[in-house]
Amino acid sequence: MDNVLLAAVLLPLLGAGCVWALAETGRKVVRISALATTLLTLALAVVLISQYPVGEAEFAASETNVSWFGGEDGPIDVRFSIALDGLSLWMFGLTALLMVTCVLISWEAITDRPAAFYGTLLLLETGMLGVFIARDIILFYVFFEFTLIPLFFLIGIWGSEQRRYAAVKFFLFTLAGSVLTFLGLLAIVLWNAYHSADGVMTFSIPELTASLRLHPIDPAVQLWIFLALFAGFAIKVPLFPFHTWLPLAHVQAPTAGSVVLAGVLLKIGTYGFVRFSLPMLPDATAACMPWVLWLAAAGIIYGALVALAQSDIKRLIAYSSVSHLGFCMLGIFSLNPLGMQGGVLQMVNHGLSTGGLFAVVGMIYERYHTRKIADLGGLAHRLPLLAFFMLVLTLSSIGLPGLNGFAGEFLLLLGMFQRAWTGVPGDWVIHLRIISVVSVLGVVLGAWYMLRLVRLVFFGELREPIRADGEPAPRDMSLREVAALAPLLVFVVWIGVQPRFFLDRMSPQLDGIATQAAKSLDQKPPELGEALTDANEVAAAGEPTRDH
Amino acid sequence: MFDIKTLLIAIPALPLVATLVTAVFGRRVLRQRSHWPVVAAVAGSFLASLLLLNEVHKAAALEDSNQKVGYESVLALWTWAAVDNAYDLDDETDAQGSQTKDFRIDVTLRADPLSSIMLVAVTLVSLLVVIYSIGYMHDDPGYWRFFTYLGLFIFSMTMLVSVSNFVLLYVFWEAVGLCSYLLIGFWFQKREASAAGKKAFLVNRVGDFGFALGVFLLWTTYGTLDFHDTTTKDDGTVAVAMADDEVTTAGVLGQERLTEGNYKTGAVATAICLLLMLGACGKSAQFPLHVWLPDAMEGPTPVSALIHAATMVTAGVYMVARCSPLFFASTDAQHVVALIGGFTALMAALIALTQTDLKRILAYSTISQLGFMFLALGTGTLVGVVAAMFHLFTHAFFKGLLFLGAGSVMHAMGGVIDVRRFGGLRRLMPVTHWTFLFGSLALAGIIPFAGFYSKDTILLAVHAKEGAFYAVLYWTAVVTALLTAFYTFRAFFLTFYGDEQIPPEAGHHAHESPGAMVWPLRILAVASLLAGIVLYQWGSFDGFIRKTPSLDYLARQADLAAAEDAVAGHESVEHDAHFAVMAQSIVIAFLGVGLAAFFYLGDRKEIAAIARAMDRAGLYRLSHGKFYFDTIYKFLVVWPLEGIARLCYWIDRYVIDAAVDFCGMVPRALGASLRPLQSGLIQFYALAMVLGLLILIGSLLMCTL
Repeated sequence: MDNVLLAAVLLPLLGAGCVWALAETGRKVVRISALATTLLTLALAVVLISQYPVGEAEFAASETNVSWFGGEDGPIDVRFSIALDGLSLWMFGLTALLMVTCVLISWEAITDRPAAFYGTLLLLETGMLGVFIARDIILFYVFFEFTLIPLFFLIGIWGSEQRRYAAVKFFLFTLAGSVLTFLGLLAIVLWNAYHSADGVMTFSIPELTASLRLHPIDPAVQLWIFLALFAGFAIKVPLFPFHTWLPLAHVQAPTAGSVVLAGVLLKIGTYGFVRFSLPMLPDATAACMPWVLWLAAAGIIYGALVALAQSDIKRLIAYSSVSHLGFCMLGIFSLNPLGMQGGVLQMVNHGLSTGGLFAVVGMIYERYHTRKIADLGGLAHRLPLLAFFMLVLTLSSIGLPGLNGFAGEFLLLLGMFQRAWTGVPGDWVIHLRIISVVSVLGVVLGAWYMLRLVRLVFFGELREPIRADGEPAPRDMSLREVAALAPLLVFVVWIGVQPRFFLDRMSPQLDGIATQAAKSLDQKPPELGEALTDANEVAAAGEPTRDH
Repeated sequence: MFDIKTLLIAIPALPLVATLVTAVFGRRVLRQRSHWPVVAAVAGSFLASLLLLNEVHKAAALEDSNQKVGYESVLALWTWAAVDNAYDLDDETDAQGSQTKDFRIDVTLRADPLSSIMLVAVTLVSLLVVIYSIGYMHDDPGYWRFFTYLGLFIFSMTMLVSVSNFVLLYVFWEAVGLCSYLLIGFWFQKREASAAGKKAFLVNRVGDFGFALGVFLLWTTYGTLDFHDTTTKDDGTVAVAMADDEVTTAGVLGQERLTEGNYKTGAVATAICLLLMLGACGKSAQFPLHVWLPDAMEGPTPVSALIHAATMVTAGVYMVARCSPLFFASTDAQHVVALIGGFTALMAALIALTQTDLKRILAYSTISQLGFMFLALGTGTLVGVVAAMFHLFTHAFFKGLLFLGAGSVMHAMGGVIDVRRFGGLRRLMPVTHWTFLFGSLALAGIIPFAGFYSKDTILLAVHAKEGAFYAVLYWTAVVTALLTAFYTFRAFFLTFYGDEQIPPEAGHHAHESPGAMVWPLRILAVASLLAGIVLYQWGSFDGFIRKTPSLDYLARQADLAAAEDAVAGHESVEHDAHFAVMAQSIVIAFLGVGLAAFFYLGDRKEIAAIARAMDRAGLYRLSHGKFYFDTIYKFLVVWPLEGIARLCYWIDRYVIDAAVDFCGMVPRALGASLRPLQSGLIQFYALAMVLGLLILIGSLLMCTL
């Protein structure tokens, strides 16, 4: 069992190599081998998940841990260390699942250099899987940045009209943030090396987490590190107001690119917060909590309102992502078990529903070559099956009970409400209470813009762009397209009816993180302004010592 | 075989299975036979509900009323979600000595008098409507889809009334809303239909916003969301608390809390109740969220009868009745409920006076009757809550009947539903005529039809409350009753009396409806006549339903209050108001019918004159324009929000994104501004070097000095 995880991560890499090698054999062989690779990876992921035990805290499955560079004796020991734990489990599974969907929906749509396309897509899969299972900070960062490059090419080469601008903007915006994140991560490592008992410099994420629990970083320094990490993760999420790269990238990306972008890549940001900021910087997290919550709530409402004003289907769904990721952040930063579990579950839910919605939009675009709401109408007459999928995914997205979105939203909103109305840190009570109520309004607005979209595009009189003479009317979903979306629907219903199955496997670990962060919150966190002054004083006081 | 637990599962399970069968096989295999799975399943559910009612009745009679508050039987199926240590008890400890509480939502079903009565009403009306739909929907291309949605609705509705947990109540609360959305927009090619579906969903979402917050507040206040008590077994598993178990978590409406009367009062109680009431206003179409129901009439008529008259819209009444111990804890909340109910009843009745769309008249009448029920709930007394449930029960029959009758007329008139375009149909459609008459008599409250008894009990309950507040509401209700009798018979006379007039759209359809449609009408007509007498005069409706734990609590509180009064020496004066109220109620109903007959039988000259006079006063238009709520909401909510949305999008592009692009341009601009320095002129470089050196030396000198 030990190397199944390693195999699952490397398989897409291998597949990418094969696909490139097979480039000359034509599109059919290429896409079949890509599909086989993703299916095999999914099978390995299913094996791993099915073996994962329920209810064990700090459990890590299928660990691989070898020295990468540096050495065990030297000052630097960077390791290729991977394992699955409760936090990464479902994101890992979601990635493997969505990649199959991605290959299937690109089947006919990609005609330009298919081998390069599928190869890049598979490279991206390795990167995404790696991010979630890395147990070493350097390895995490390598995978983190590695995901940027394939997506840059996917958007830049196979995108729509403004693809170059979108690709560059996406790349530079996220890179700018993640450089600061890297500095922050290094600062954590260095602080720990200087202050831990044995003085060993470790890059291992679990070891750092455990060590920093014993010797926490000075609160004032934590704050600066938190802000550095925040720069990268908040842009990735994207948290309002760092979101403007997202609608552009979504609209310009090819369908598969949009699906992975919404489904997986955005979650790397929220994942980063849960993996690093909360457990390693609990005091700074507690100090910044109200600010982050304000941004999350603003994103929920703002994203929903902007989505309401859209005339392009894809951009509408892109803005809905801003709103939904606001919910995830709200849950995570409510810093209690309910909100945390809801927030992390919502990461998976958003991947399923929004990933699926982008796939549906891609199918519409393939048939009509337009994404304008005004060009379309009454498609339920022409494409009843597609309308069915669209409706279920929409209902999932707006949090209809019985489907997955509700389970996540309910838990995280309840968690947020509990944070605001019981046991709150003094001065922020009013703020938190406003946030906890206002964010529930996001659920109302969410229903508004999504049902508006469904009504305009799928209901009413049939309205289609004019076809050239002799061009056949578009046909309803093919078996391949059903196969791409049906698995998502299975999980949409499963999580809705029995969320416990999913929660039980991640709760022990998340509870630990939430409890620790909540503890810092109870110990009267410093106000953000005060903390910043403190930090300056620490920095000023630190200067003379450096001369020695 | 037929124990309570099996029945409780079977009632929702049968429609669910039927829905799945129709969904999978309907389109290709079953086609025009798609109704069979649903009809069979609902018939089974109805029988099961009757058996359940019987079992509950037997068990409740056996229950020792001293030990337990009411009768309930709870069945846990599986755990939906569980989060350990979710709730910090703030230095308190629970029975186990733990400082935290677990969040745990089990899928649990309950049987008690309230839910079993609701189940019988729901499945009976469902069965009749499903049979009716066979005739009404024949030839429709979406035949299988219709029955799939209907099955899904019946499953959700039966679950809604039998779950034993606030989260699941919310789940099925929204699930019936979804079915309503799908069925209103069933003919989705019609613009109005899909718009009405969306409107219904969104207005309900506004209500659900309140409901959700109410549920959150219940969780932070009581630390549980179960209705029933739970116990933790030795092996750590959580189960429903039985009679002898030690209760570890007292449910919100559980035995322990009801026995001890352990409810929070004050602002928290009021907030919880008002938030829940907001949810109820959405689902039960009460002011200010009533605007969706009239539009919902765009859906097929059987749907209007089942969902938007008999069952789903009463969910709010059911919920408030179920939560009556919570409302009992807050007098302010009771006043708000009564006020909303009374106001809505009057307002909707005034609007119904001038509408010309037969279905919309009935829709406003439904809003008005639901207002009556909330008025009764707002009294906060056992009599009031029982009266509300009684009216809910009878209303389900006669309003379902009226809608199905309207559907029968619509079917015969080729889809025309405007009362000005047809008339004198009594000879053409004899069965529809007499059944509609029965429904109208019941709605108008003519003795001895069902509506008379239930409306009378509501008036009695309101009359029994002391104080000017309830006195005003009582007279509002009396006026509303008069208006009800009038507008009901206005519609009846316009449709069935006067000169025979048939619109051209009717074509060859202008005849009595087929058997599948008229038999449900006959059955409901008989029910509308007898339900009141049987249940009220001879039956034990209130004796039985007060065995519901929530209602038994009210009874006990009333007993306590009476005992205290007795101790304090206040001799509680037995008003013999019953006869006076009943007399008023009878007179008012006959007066209303009589006025309608006077104005609408014959040449209708007088009514035209009155309408003109009213028009001059502006009142006619106010009523006809539905008090302009739609317009007001459009101006105050929809347009401003859409404007803000566009503004936000503008800000997104020209402020936020522009700032990002600006940041992106800074390095480039910086580079561009430095570019002239690299001019290639050696002399310039030499000059720069010298200058730089001078500055360096200068600064060094400054430092040393």
